[in-house]
Amino acid sequence: MVNLEEIKKEAKKILEEGKVKYIIGYAKSSNILMAAPVFIKKPEDVNKLIWNPTCFQNLVKFLLDEKRKKAREKEPDTRPVGIFVKGCDSRAINVLLQEKFITREDVYIMGISCEDLGVLDEKKIFKKLKDEKPEKIEFDQGKNIVISTKEKTIKIPLKEILAERCLECTSSFPVISDVFWGDRNNRSPKEPFKSLEQIESLSQEKKWDFWQQQLSKCIRCYACRSVCPMCYCDECVVDSINLAVTADTSAEEKAQKIKWIEKSPESSENFGYHLVRAMHLAGRCIDCSECERVCPVDIPLRLLNKKLEKVAKELFDYKAGLDPEQPSLVSSFKDEDPEDFIR
Amino acid sequence: MAEEFEPKIIAFLCKWCSSAGSDLAGVSRMNYPPNVVPITVMCSGSVSPLYIFNAFQKGADGVLVSGCHPGDCHYIKGNFYARRRIALVKELIEYIGLEPQRFKMAWVSAAEGKKYTQIIQDFVQELKPLGPQTKLRREK
Amino acid sequence: MEKILTKKSFPAWVKKLQSYTVYAPEKQENLWSYEVIQNPDKLNLEHLNTVQAPKKITFPQREVFLQFNTSKEGKPQIKEVLPKEQPTVIFGVRPCDAKAITLTDKVFGEEPKDPYYWSRRNQTTLVGLTCNTPPSDNCFCLSVGGSPHAKEGLDILMTDMDDKYHLDSLSKKGEKLIKAAENLFKPVSPKEKKELEKIHRESEKKIKREVKDIKNIPDKLKNMFNSPFWDEEAMSCIRCGICTYLCPTCYCFDITDELTSTLPLNGKRVRTWDTCQFPDFTMHSSGHNPRPDKASRLRQRILHKFQYHVENYQDYLCTGCGRCISLCPMGIDIIEILNKVRDHE
Repeated sequence: MVNLEEIKKEAKKILEEGKVKYIIGYAKSSNILMAAPVFIKKPEDVNKLIWNPTCFQNLVKFLLDEKRKKAREKEPDTRPVGIFVKGCDSRAINVLLQEKFITREDVYIMGISCEDLGVLDEKKIFKKLKDEKPEKIEFDQGKNIVISTKEKTIKIPLKEILAERCLECTSSFPVISDVFWGDRNNRSPKEPFKSLEQIESLSQEKKWDFWQQQLSKCIRCYACRSVCPMCYCDECVVDSINLAVTADTSAEEKAQKIKWIEKSPESSENFGYHLVRAMHLAGRCIDCSECERVCPVDIPLRLLNKKLEKVAKELFDYKAGLDPEQPSLVSSFKDEDPEDFIR
Repeated sequence: MAEEFEPKIIAFLCKWCSSAGSDLAGVSRMNYPPNVVPITVMCSGSVSPLYIFNAFQKGADGVLVSGCHPGDCHYIKGNFYARRRIALVKELIEYIGLEPQRFKMAWVSAAEGKKYTQIIQDFVQELKPLGPQTKLRREK
Repeated sequence: MEKILTKKSFPAWVKKLQSYTVYAPEKQENLWSYEVIQNPDKLNLEHLNTVQAPKKITFPQREVFLQFNTSKEGKPQIKEVLPKEQPTVIFGVRPCDAKAITLTDKVFGEEPKDPYYWSRRNQTTLVGLTCNTPPSDNCFCLSVGGSPHAKEGLDILMTDMDDKYHLDSLSKKGEKLIKAAENLFKPVSPKEKKELEKIHRESEKKIKREVKDIKNIPDKLKNMFNSPFWDEEAMSCIRCGICTYLCPTCYCFDITDELTSTLPLNGKRVRTWDTCQFPDFTMHSSGHNPRPDKASRLRQRILHKFQYHVENYQDYLCTGCGRCISLCPMGIDIIEILNKVRDHE
């Protein structure tokens, strides 16, 4: 089991040595079932750090902010940023390295293995609690969660309330790191794409009904895009602005800018947005499933990205984020790539 | 009797092979259905998935992407990239429930005017029983 | 006018309202949402906070203003599209969400009045429900001048009293609803009146979260515009639109032209929600963005709600529903931010 005190000790050490600018980690939030990101600058603040299965967020997202901030500063502090990563998060760093969005010197990676667990799924907990409100939680031996509500105290084995993606995770430990806690045991889930089966088995019409119903709920808050460490485009296809606009861009040019997807949350537009996003994440999505977790209207977005992950695996034997040196899925090819669908 | 449904096909044809192939079909006065709107692009590798989704949004009943045969790409390997990307689009489109018959990819060289007409003929025949594509369409 | 309605007769009452489109909270999968009710027998008012406030009905995310095209002769033609909704009743409105509608009423009620908003709003009757227990862990209505049984904005306030509802009709619109099925209602006995008062008193005690001395905050904020405080607080913000799109009081919108064809011209002008949390919200056409980073956007959200709106309308643009706290993916908590602002040196 990972010892939080050791983690704090290391965090304190590197801050005191000035090895890192600051550390991005997890702290308590006002929601007891969810940790919040914390940015630690002073060694004495390391006591805020926590590590448990409520540490959902993929903190790699914040490296994008850091890069933008650094670009604006005249004399930026070039020291790396310390960042805590789980297995999936570390693969996100690999993709950013692969795409040369960040360099290895930008980050001091503090990897924590999820060992045989992962993070919780809040919805599964609420189902177990039958809408009672949790008032206190405790983790017992890293095996169970003990939840107290006003009425009762219940003990649930963590394995029953882990997020789907953790149940299908094939590498639960960071694949790249500067310091590391926990074990490096590979997991081999029997059915790593089990969650897709239900939809895949449907008829075309039923598939459509499912996605039509789900994507029509979208309110285009773009939380899925905002939380995604892979969504770093300066200008997204759904945004109404063009950052390439300069003082000399004529009104005509601006007016003629193609609008691919309208702002209206209509079915067709929502499909446009989510399909483009899924395509853009093909071979890049590392299945942290943050998009699905943050969706306020509960669209199962992970199932879109997971599908393309499966296709990439089956057709091209490609898995995202394992090696920063490998060429990316869509900017490479093999002679023997399948073409039986081409006439 | 109601008029027979005539599908509208958007065809993204690469400038160097497929578009030339379609021209060959034209100048050779080969007959083929008028249901296709060709859009010449520089390379099949330059066809963004966005173009394909947008064609469906704007009411295309079928979309065709056609490029040079493997090894013949004017830009050496553009069609190899296209092959991968289109495979992903095809899988995704099927997964969300759009009829897979509505989206096709082909290799058509500048000499294959006949093949081009055949592809369009077959495509139209396949689309007719499906009726209009309304799923991704903006105006229903 | 106060009345008593047994829970058994509730569906019968709703059935009498055929001339209205009836909305009520419905549980879909895991979430509560206001939906058009087809079968009143299934209606139950035991909902937690809906993800989206009834704002989505009174101020929908998208509405068409006008349609335009060029005629065959090349003449431009424009046709205004006003909402054609029939009278609407929304059941189960939480007092905080009702208060929120009164806040948007003020904004859209300024001259020139917004005809699109008002043609819909005037047709809407709001039937509220006392929050006997807080519908969210993050309710803090008491701090912003509301209460779990507040009447503001409501046409009827219903209170759950075990096997019956107490109804307090507060407007002509409310009276009309009750008159639709007058025989179902009974007068309130003094005992029931006492019981009601007790429920209301108790409901206030159950609100756990609060912002103390909130009245000091608007003044405090005046001197904090340039404070590094915002950089710190916004560190974990990911600039999504959850806090604002789901806020019952946020009313910012964008107007765009959606073209179906350029030649011949054909399209619609539509209004859609917009949010100050998106980077392109303040983007100028020159390429300059006066709110370039997420700190300035978080500051805008807080300042608008607790300084600017107070200056312009003498009320907070926040009704304490707690949605932005419960749903923030990064755990940003407006109560904590306000407490820090209040204690800021």
